[in-house]
Amino acid sequence: MKWKKPMAAVGTLALLSAAACGGSDSSSDTDEGDQTTVGEAGLAQDPNVEPPAAPIEGAQSGGTVTVLSAAGLNTMMPPEAYYTNTGSILTSLVTRELTQYRYNADIGGMELVPDLATDLGQHNEDFTEWTFTIRDGVRYEDGTEVTAEDFGTAIDMSMDRKQFPDGAEYSNEYFLNGQTYKGRYTDPQGSCDCYEIDGNTITIKMERPFPSMNYWGSFPAMSPIPADKSEDPDEYALHPLATGPYMFDQYEPETSLTLVKNPEWDPNTDPARHQYVDQWDMKLLEDSSALDQVIIEDQGDAQTTLTYDNLLLPDYQKAQAQAPERVVAGPDPCQFYVFPDVRKITDPKVREAMAWGYPYKDAWLAGGEIVGVTRSPETQIVPKGVTGRVTPPYDVYGNGGQETDPDKAQELLKEAGKLGMELKFLYASDDPPSVDVKDVLVRAWKEAGFTPKPVATTVAEFSTLRADPNTDINYRTGGWCLDWPVWDSWLPPLFQTDQYANYSYFSNKQVDQQLRQLQSEPPAQAAEDAQDVEKEIMEKYKPVIPVGKGGVAMMHGSRINGMEVDSVYGLLTWKDVWISQ
Amino acid sequence: MTLPPTAADEALRHADEVSAAPEAVKIHGRSPMQIAFERLRHDWVAVISSVIVLFFIVIALFAPLIANAFGVEEGIVENPSDVLELDTGYGLEGPPNHGFTWDHPLGVAPSTGKDNLAEWLFGARTSLEVAFVSAIGATSLGIVFGLLAGFSRGWLDRIISFFLDLFLSFPFILGALSLAPILINRFGSDAAKLDQAQFYSLILILVFFSWMYLARLIRGEVLSLREREFIQAARVIGVPTRRILFKELLPNMIAPIVVSFSLGLPAFVAAEAGLAFLGIGLTERPSWGQTILDAIPHFEVYPLFLWAPVIGIMVLVVALNLLGDSLRDAFDPKTRR
Repeated sequence: MKWKKPMAAVGTLALLSAAACGGSDSSSDTDEGDQTTVGEAGLAQDPNVEPPAAPIEGAQSGGTVTVLSAAGLNTMMPPEAYYTNTGSILTSLVTRELTQYRYNADIGGMELVPDLATDLGQHNEDFTEWTFTIRDGVRYEDGTEVTAEDFGTAIDMSMDRKQFPDGAEYSNEYFLNGQTYKGRYTDPQGSCDCYEIDGNTITIKMERPFPSMNYWGSFPAMSPIPADKSEDPDEYALHPLATGPYMFDQYEPETSLTLVKNPEWDPNTDPARHQYVDQWDMKLLEDSSALDQVIIEDQGDAQTTLTYDNLLLPDYQKAQAQAPERVVAGPDPCQFYVFPDVRKITDPKVREAMAWGYPYKDAWLAGGEIVGVTRSPETQIVPKGVTGRVTPPYDVYGNGGQETDPDKAQELLKEAGKLGMELKFLYASDDPPSVDVKDVLVRAWKEAGFTPKPVATTVAEFSTLRADPNTDINYRTGGWCLDWPVWDSWLPPLFQTDQYANYSYFSNKQVDQQLRQLQSEPPAQAAEDAQDVEKEIMEKYKPVIPVGKGGVAMMHGSRINGMEVDSVYGLLTWKDVWISQ
Repeated sequence: MTLPPTAADEALRHADEVSAAPEAVKIHGRSPMQIAFERLRHDWVAVISSVIVLFFIVIALFAPLIANAFGVEEGIVENPSDVLELDTGYGLEGPPNHGFTWDHPLGVAPSTGKDNLAEWLFGARTSLEVAFVSAIGATSLGIVFGLLAGFSRGWLDRIISFFLDLFLSFPFILGALSLAPILINRFGSDAAKLDQAQFYSLILILVFFSWMYLARLIRGEVLSLREREFIQAARVIGVPTRRILFKELLPNMIAPIVVSFSLGLPAFVAAEAGLAFLGIGLTERPSWGQTILDAIPHFEVYPLFLWAPVIGIMVLVVALNLLGDSLRDAFDPKTRR
């Protein structure tokens, strides 16, 4: 029976699904057109990549790849697809956007390159106008030509929060009239007046500076949609028209999806995608343990099977012993934090005591994480590989992000005069790992001089209760995953007043002011200054406690090639996968 | 069908009188209970399964003492990172990666470092506690409503029969599934209260969805018995209804009651484990079903983790079932072995 599965997904508490909001300014300097390899510190961009994509050495064509996963595909409607799996599958295989990511083996990571636009967009000085020139000769799967108007339709759709409540909200956040225009379906007569179309160019106008527009341009919400084919959004959601190398064949929402070659896709218009594989069979809502075994055993069709789920701990051990070359492990875009509710835990000393009392390794173990692979210590807010990460590294609590010292915690509590303070936190009592983590936490908090009060809820209710500021708990745990690899995808959502990921309910006028100031600075300068701001927030206020960063450990069959970690989505590099015959 | 015990008592008394006379031939009068237990004593399946059931009862009663004797404790007593290998999540001592150790005779659970033996012992306690309390509850409800429905005729019988059918047709798993989240959200803020609430609601659910079977059986029996002469006689001489029900009718139904009770036990053990496995049973105290759920992904590397609760449930359920079967045979006057 299946009710264990969705819980396993929630167990990690990652919230990319809801990784809404965000900041504005960013680093990218697109004027120069030089390849800016930032490596560890940030992400590369290359606006000059020309189609077709360079062939992969030794790659062979043909074959069907089977994809197994325990999680379902929530929705494949481009303006609403905002889960890592739906977003990654759509943008890599089915729909084309203004910009896209590709895996660059030389830097061992992802870089932003043009897609349907001929470059990464041209912007005016203060990033309030972006112009994209659309390529000629790009057709939908039904043979009709992609026009700049179709991007306008997509923008109108992406602003419809009533029709697509789960979609990313950047269009509303930054585009002109984004807060007032209700979107294409909710307000069919209205218009956002936020874009101008001139032949094959589209100019998008912003409400406020949006230097990260070229990143937003890579989201499925920025893929062209023909106006006449999408009158009925529910119908279109079942078969979004493909512009990429593969199109929908069979699709059962949540449970299965078959993609076949799109004959209208022309490699001479696409700088990064390949079409080596004949067909993709995605079978979802599978049992984690069973699908791990299938891929590890590598018999028959399993040789051309892959999963983007993390291997379960026992299976990871087995896979490492039997076929380490088929395990694909690497960074994912998520970090995890303990968010003390600063309205209730007002003393930074108590928060420091929590940092020393938190059972890092024990909680990772109890949560079923592979320590060192899917969870490793982290002391900073902006993670590795993101522009604006603080260098040299700092450690505000001084515990290396993994050391627990109950005595020190007690001392700090005594100093604060809060020994025996109550800690109320949520757990899902119908999810065994969540219960195990709760048991570990109760023990650790007691040892550290706190009085733990776990509050039980169900997997179904968990996110709602956690997101409710009035829930009677005084700290929350959660993860934050990036939308694009720039600091403004991290600091404002976590620290600005009333932002979605601000589970500490931290609110400081000066910090708000500083962050706003950063967002209007030139990107390179902002990336420098953001480091100081992050350090200052953490050292002065200690509003969050980093409790580890995520990682992926996926596996594929022996005949699958070209599968690497896409560190932006935390999934795989779909575009480069091929099967050896 | 057994004879009314009043008649048997009569016979016994009579036998005593007879035996008082020295010359008379000694007549052995035995009550149906005596006959049944005599039969059971000679049934080696019954003997063995009762020994096994007794063994589990002893384990359940003395779980803390036994755990103490082994030097193990229930729950998370040490930091998982101190007793587990960080890279594999398995114990630093004991299976699967190391040899047997008396510190943890069944090893420790991956991820949490709980001692498996202690969890098993307390799991047995949970299992039997739930099973016995539920069986007693279901049997009492079944008896009361069965007697009432069978004896009352008219509207009361119709109402009770309606509820019988209603409960019979209500899907049990659905009830359990829908109740679990309600309880969690109602009592979630206090772990101790939640544990109590889960425990009693589990028992209530098990009772509510199993009393009907015995009630139906009893109702049928009563329907046929109430027309018999001894009941008619009792009514004629003005015996109060309560007395007729409990003194005249009930003793005649010892057999179905004992059988239903003993066959109910294994069903409840299995149901408790099954619900815990589905994550809608007890979550705040050890339970075999939960251990099974935790152990399934580790089966290949660490089979002992799964085998312990599975064998526990299997042996207990089989023993209880066989004992129940033997009881049924022993109490059934129509069987002859």
